[in-house]
Amino acid sequence: MGTQNIRQGWLAERQLAPRWNVWASGLLNLVVLAVTAMVVWWIFFSNGGPLKLYTPLLGFSLVIWVLLVIIWQTEYFDYWPLKRPYLDAAHPLQKGGILTGIALGVYFVFIFGIMFYIIGRYGITYFNWNSLTQYGELGQDVMSTRETTSWAFICLSVPFLWLTTVLMVGGDKTAWPDSLQPGQGLANWLLMGLLSVPLYLVFFHPHIGSMFYPAQVYAAVPPWWKEIAGTNSAEYGLGILFCSVIVIFITLQLWEGRPWNLVKGQPWKFIAVVVGGLLLGFLFFKIQLAVMDYLWDEAYIGGQNEYNYGWRYSHTVTMGNFILVPAIILGTYFGEAFSRLAPWLRGLTMSVLSVILGLLFAWAYYAWAPVLLGVCEGVSHPSENPSAFLVLLIVLLNIHDAFMDKWPGYRLVAPEDLQR
Amino acid sequence: MQRRTFLKRLATTSAGLALTSGMGAVPRNAYAKRKKQDFGEIKSLKVECISETSWFDNPTLGKDIKAAGGINTNQYDVTYNEENLGGYAALIEVEALDGKKTKYLLDSGWSNDWMDYVFQKSGVDKMLQNKEIDTMVISHDHIDHYFGIESTLKHQPDIKMYFPSTSMKKSFELLKGADFSSTPGCPKNAHPHTGELIVTKPDQLYKLQDGAAVVFFDAPATLQVRGENVMYFKIKDKGYVTVTGCCHPGILTLINYARRNFKDGKKNYGCYGGLHISPFENWDPKMDDIIAGVKQYDMQKIACNHCTGWIWAEKAVKAGLPIVPGTDKFLSYKKVGTLAKANTSNVYTGNGDTVVF
Repeated sequence: MGTQNIRQGWLAERQLAPRWNVWASGLLNLVVLAVTAMVVWWIFFSNGGPLKLYTPLLGFSLVIWVLLVIIWQTEYFDYWPLKRPYLDAAHPLQKGGILTGIALGVYFVFIFGIMFYIIGRYGITYFNWNSLTQYGELGQDVMSTRETTSWAFICLSVPFLWLTTVLMVGGDKTAWPDSLQPGQGLANWLLMGLLSVPLYLVFFHPHIGSMFYPAQVYAAVPPWWKEIAGTNSAEYGLGILFCSVIVIFITLQLWEGRPWNLVKGQPWKFIAVVVGGLLLGFLFFKIQLAVMDYLWDEAYIGGQNEYNYGWRYSHTVTMGNFILVPAIILGTYFGEAFSRLAPWLRGLTMSVLSVILGLLFAWAYYAWAPVLLGVCEGVSHPSENPSAFLVLLIVLLNIHDAFMDKWPGYRLVAPEDLQR
Repeated sequence: MQRRTFLKRLATTSAGLALTSGMGAVPRNAYAKRKKQDFGEIKSLKVECISETSWFDNPTLGKDIKAAGGINTNQYDVTYNEENLGGYAALIEVEALDGKKTKYLLDSGWSNDWMDYVFQKSGVDKMLQNKEIDTMVISHDHIDHYFGIESTLKHQPDIKMYFPSTSMKKSFELLKGADFSSTPGCPKNAHPHTGELIVTKPDQLYKLQDGAAVVFFDAPATLQVRGENVMYFKIKDKGYVTVTGCCHPGILTLINYARRNFKDGKKNYGCYGGLHISPFENWDPKMDDIIAGVKQYDMQKIACNHCTGWIWAEKAVKAGLPIVPGTDKFLSYKKVGTLAKANTSNVYTGNGDTVVF
């Protein structure tokens, strides 16, 4: 395993092999994932558990930011401060524990240390629910302010997630290629952060400025998209950007980076990922809205639950995540089972499978999650957001794959061992 | 139907390729394609607000619910501050085309102490004892609409009742005489219901009399409650009026249900009751959408209160919607809410007020 190849990173260079045949190894990992997800959900998130973080927005904001930190750790910082010899040699459980601990530590420092305690207390009120309760008047009570702040963190995560993704795929680490870690990671992270903030201010800040009475028009313009979207809610931009991220992740998992890696050289690849990702994401978004129109008839301005434009925009994200989860599972645990197919046929087959499995997963979730996860019944329940559980699954899949080498179903091997 | 229900559960993706979706204020396609129901007409409708004050202090209730685990906790598992509890109920009087008048009671509030007081103050207790009230409609089994059921049944246990099929198991048990009062704020009922019980289901219209009907909507709500009965009235030469407990399906859902399913359904004259927009007086831009949405229809009287939220009502007035203002009658009640602005502005219909449609 090379130690000097900074551009690839350890995640791309490591070699894993199933301990048994692909199906047995994959199924064992799937069982481990399901059991872990249930345990984590009931301890930390469920209303029937001790911590009850699924409010639902507080839980959703937690998992989406932890996912971002994990991507930064692996793709931007190449596991820094851990060294490659350690990554090559450590037991997956030990490595997974340390790296997950670092991810949670970074999450708490960034979200609660910087955003909540510093910016929320000394800068922008809505990033701290205590500040909202302290300075706010009508309607700013303990229950509503926690959701408002959590919603603000979710909104902030969306441009970060979109730019993290397009820079990871389109940027191809071509910026500062010769820098060592953590300098390279920090430079890329700062570039991503620098671009994310104006996106957040344009697409999400107007929504949060309108979450108070009177609307905070001197700090945030009224939602400028309402004529386009049929709603004042920022869920329109959220839906499009998130769908773009989901589509790009599916291309990484099932299409080995096609079509993006067919574009050579910069800035063309970056432009292709930004424009192509947005177009594909928008298409995915619109197809889903058309299906919802067929199922539930048209939405209308001011409609509630499934008749609300904003809810439908958010639901495109939910359904996209229902498809993304099986896509990641297929690509991560069972990808080798399809390796004999030609790349395009492999991508097509696994994509069709992901859509079918995703729809079955959605049906199963809405039918059984009230019992299995303790969530509320109903597709459009106002206190329900399946993306919290789905993103938790994606987080656990990432921890299992990137931090734990897919143990126990898979093991880390040296390239020369694979060739024997 | 089964295919459609299955697809609803699957909810989305895979079929259809449309780059544009309808972005209209008023749905048009769905309106045209359904067969319309005609359940007759009435001459007039009078609604008296027995109580719209479900609790007296928002932060206190918020703390109780948060302490129990949040808004998705089972409502029977929350320990409530009993001093804070009120309840929702409305007395409805229908004048038929021939002049005959019939009374209906919508909901039975929460605290028995408060409900006994408001029933006595409005004379509902005597009306129940004298069997002057034809039928009771339970809109839904939420704390503030149903936990005070004993206050009704102790006067008339055999009253005919419409009850949502989606109610919680414990709510059905309460109707039969269960006691959950070991948890503060939770209900008891020493007077089991003995009258006719109509358990309402989705996609059915239950006709009360000519021009009056109950429709059940399987809408989600908080504290693990689901489903709500809504009363529809068709007033001759005016149009449809909805009377709701909380209106969890949404006022625009009710308007569009009438448009899609009822003869002359485009005539929306008015509404009474909670609209469940901002019960805790917090705000979201989606609530501005509801003002914009309602403005598309030519409603003449919007007598909202309760979980509508004071903010929404005031914003709606500023936007030109015909919100029916309240009077000072609520000040004569033994308790008033802590929301100072709402208590002085009379922005919406309050306790003791009467609205005629």
